[in-house]
Amino acid sequence: MKRLLDLAVSAIALAACDSTAPDTSMQETDTAHMEPASSATERTAGYSEDRNAYFGDLHIHTRSSFDAYIFNVRRTANDAYRFARGETITHPSGFDMTIAGGPLDFYTVTDHAEYLGILPVMNTPGTELSKLPRAQDMFSTDPEKITAAFQSVGASVRSGEVIEEMYDESIIGSVWEQNIDAANRHYVPGEFTTFAAYEFTSVTVNEEEDSFAGGNLHRNVFFKGDAPDRAFSTLDSPNPEHLWDWMDEQRSEGYEAIAIPHNSNVSDGQMFRLETYNGDPLDVAYAEQRMRNEPLVEVTQVKGTSETHPSLSPNDEWANFEIYDRLLASYQVSKTEGGYVREAYRNGLKLQEEEGFDPFRFGLVAASDSHVVGGAYDESDYWSKVGVVDGTPMERGSVPFFGKKNWDEQPDNQMVNNAREWFSRWAASGLTGVWAEENTRESIFDAFRRKETFATTGPRMKVRFFAGYRYSDDMLDDADLTRQAYDGGVPMGGDLVGTGEAPTFLAWAQRDPNMGALQRVQVVKVTSVGEAVYDVACHTGSPDPATHRCSDNGAAVDMETCAPTGAGANELKAVWQDPDFDVSQRATYYVRVLENPSCRWSTWEAMRGNVPPRPDVPQTIQERAYTSPIWYIPAD
Amino acid sequence: MKFLRDPLVHFITAAALVFAAFAIWQTRSNQADSTILISASEIERMAALYTSEAGTLPGEADMAAMLSDHIRDVALAREARRLGLDQNDTIITRRLAQKMSFVVSDLHEDTMPIERQLEDWHAAHADRFTQPATLTFSHVYFSPDVRGAETAAAAEETLTRLNASNPPAAASLGDPFMLQRQYGDMPLRELARQFGGAFAETLSTMPVSEDWQGPVSSAYGLHLVQVTHSTAAVLSPLDEVRAEVRKDWLEQTRREKNEQAIQEIIARYKVEIEGGN
Repeated sequence: MKRLLDLAVSAIALAACDSTAPDTSMQETDTAHMEPASSATERTAGYSEDRNAYFGDLHIHTRSSFDAYIFNVRRTANDAYRFARGETITHPSGFDMTIAGGPLDFYTVTDHAEYLGILPVMNTPGTELSKLPRAQDMFSTDPEKITAAFQSVGASVRSGEVIEEMYDESIIGSVWEQNIDAANRHYVPGEFTTFAAYEFTSVTVNEEEDSFAGGNLHRNVFFKGDAPDRAFSTLDSPNPEHLWDWMDEQRSEGYEAIAIPHNSNVSDGQMFRLETYNGDPLDVAYAEQRMRNEPLVEVTQVKGTSETHPSLSPNDEWANFEIYDRLLASYQVSKTEGGYVREAYRNGLKLQEEEGFDPFRFGLVAASDSHVVGGAYDESDYWSKVGVVDGTPMERGSVPFFGKKNWDEQPDNQMVNNAREWFSRWAASGLTGVWAEENTRESIFDAFRRKETFATTGPRMKVRFFAGYRYSDDMLDDADLTRQAYDGGVPMGGDLVGTGEAPTFLAWAQRDPNMGALQRVQVVKVTSVGEAVYDVACHTGSPDPATHRCSDNGAAVDMETCAPTGAGANELKAVWQDPDFDVSQRATYYVRVLENPSCRWSTWEAMRGNVPPRPDVPQTIQERAYTSPIWYIPAD
Repeated sequence: MKFLRDPLVHFITAAALVFAAFAIWQTRSNQADSTILISASEIERMAALYTSEAGTLPGEADMAAMLSDHIRDVALAREARRLGLDQNDTIITRRLAQKMSFVVSDLHEDTMPIERQLEDWHAAHADRFTQPATLTFSHVYFSPDVRGAETAAAAEETLTRLNASNPPAAASLGDPFMLQRQYGDMPLRELARQFGGAFAETLSTMPVSEDWQGPVSSAYGLHLVQVTHSTAAVLSPLDEVRAEVRKDWLEQTRREKNEQAIQEIIARYKVEIEGGN
């Protein structure tokens, strides 16, 4: 009988196993609920009160996400954490993925909570779920049936209308528990931090146009330590405010949590809309609840960068960076207003001045949103994020359709069109940096709460940003600069309360030792009536006091080899005062750091394919970092 | 998964598998059989499945519906096989192959490794069980972005002062460094990640000494370094990592045996490829 039972367990485990690649997670999934390897009650070896920069990705999907499974992803949360620690993992299209720049300091699996882990069971012969006509269609060989079945699930996730026949809460609950276990198992205080987390997959439904296209309102939900045994999803309610209600409840029961929205750029203007989900006016309670639950926003990832848009910031020469504006799974263009972070900061200040509250006082992070368990952060080694759908250069449109050597006559087919509208416009981005005392859940989560975070488009450049009233020019040369900066002011993410004097800012950036050199450091200033970009530190010379711009440092890229030409800075730092400072006006300041130009991923792939780079996307980019802001608040 | 640990589920699924295997065998051996036999255990299985999903026992109407569904499925499936519809169907082929590979993977008993095998595995995969080399050091940073052509001279001059009698406090010298000025027990890999590979390599060859050494180039500029402690890479003794070694060994052995069993099955067939050489 034992033999039979083993057989049966193996058969069920079929769902949990990649039939082509060895899956070492099998052994781990049968262990009982695991506690974290150890809890961090003592300081770990790397502890520093001046805080260390840690880098990580807060947005990763595995086979348990309904869409990833359709993209042929069979890797698990355990595989995801192994990838982040430097192990090589196979992409669903068959090639190897190894993390660029070495292991990360933290990593978080955020599978879609809706129908979590259901598709693998639907694809397991013998299960009740596999007998559903929907399952037969989804795993058939007929592309039309597959698409229809998949879209019916997508539509349910968006609308929140449950498909009862596949909503098996016991499966969803146990896969959620597995993901919590995987996070706990791989957490090594002082070395590698993980969090129990998931994605809440809300999308607005576009009733007028009767189309699949809607505004993305996704958020990832993170638990500081223990997590509740159930994840609130759009199948409970697609209204993010209901998610916040639930998070408030969880917090009162001891489950501290934050949510991080992403892809406001494709929210159809909904993410930072100046109304509630149901169209009511915003109020103090809304702002407080939003800030209590969403202190951070993901500003850059594979599906584009949401800092600002050229039409919103016409005077910002660097605003046109990895702009992506197609609504999810659609060619429709997302509404710009209400979709970008800088504009939200301005509207927040406006609301604060006119009505006394600001729902948009959030800090910035970045992530990949990879659906293949491993993020592609390096332009020269890119694999995008939706598995077998964009696993090759041709599928993502960096080289022309079969056999063609130029871009003149691309056929009109789905692969070519999807590549043009979607995948060729996606980006090799991004990573979150945090300033934390040590690499533990407590320390890193506290940094999230303080908003002492920054976002990069892939490279691990480090940036510090402070403001205070007692900083002096010559502090820049003091060996204990960091200590002085903390003692005499507030770091990124903080509020600087007015004293009647003009504040001084310290902006300090250091390159990624393995990536490009730095070109300039900028301060972006936002008020309720406008915005301005000031270069504050340059690779060559000082900013022109009239134009606030660095002179051209001459850095470029050799388009034959993608090798950078011209020098750049290893480190840039400046003590800066706002030349247009108004002591009585609220202002939001954040830092943007620019690397020298480098080849975009699509250019690298064209070069390797021996074809000209795709003409309708930029050939080079300037990698960058954004800090969380410092908010200047005038004295009463 | 909670439900996977439920013994009832194990039992039911085992029964289902036996039934499936039996059904396949039955149809293969007797295509003409026109009797659909619903055994008592089959009825029990359906009832148990219903109970596990619905939380209550099925009523008569539920039972009748399930039975009629089941009969419909079996009859149609038999008819389909009779017409040869199971031939050349990718999905059926794939599912059968999938099932077979799982049956195969459990046909052999797990062999337990003997001590000698663990020792060999441990030695052969030393890199997996090695604690990395670490360094404890202080450094003073000189920024070429600040000092330009004078950087090396400034570093040399400071080196002389640091190694003279009554040296100044190192923490007050050089340029401010964004990260730490002292690192304790830092793994070399981490050092390479933070400062670049060449820096880590140079430091790993420096003697431990109270004296300041350098200057050493990093991705950021020049550094004077004082390496006060180092630990070599150490292979963890087998006794400390026995569980991991054993797990690796079992995993690998199981994988090899599975592959071997599958290869043996494949070897029973002669493969002919039309037009192939």
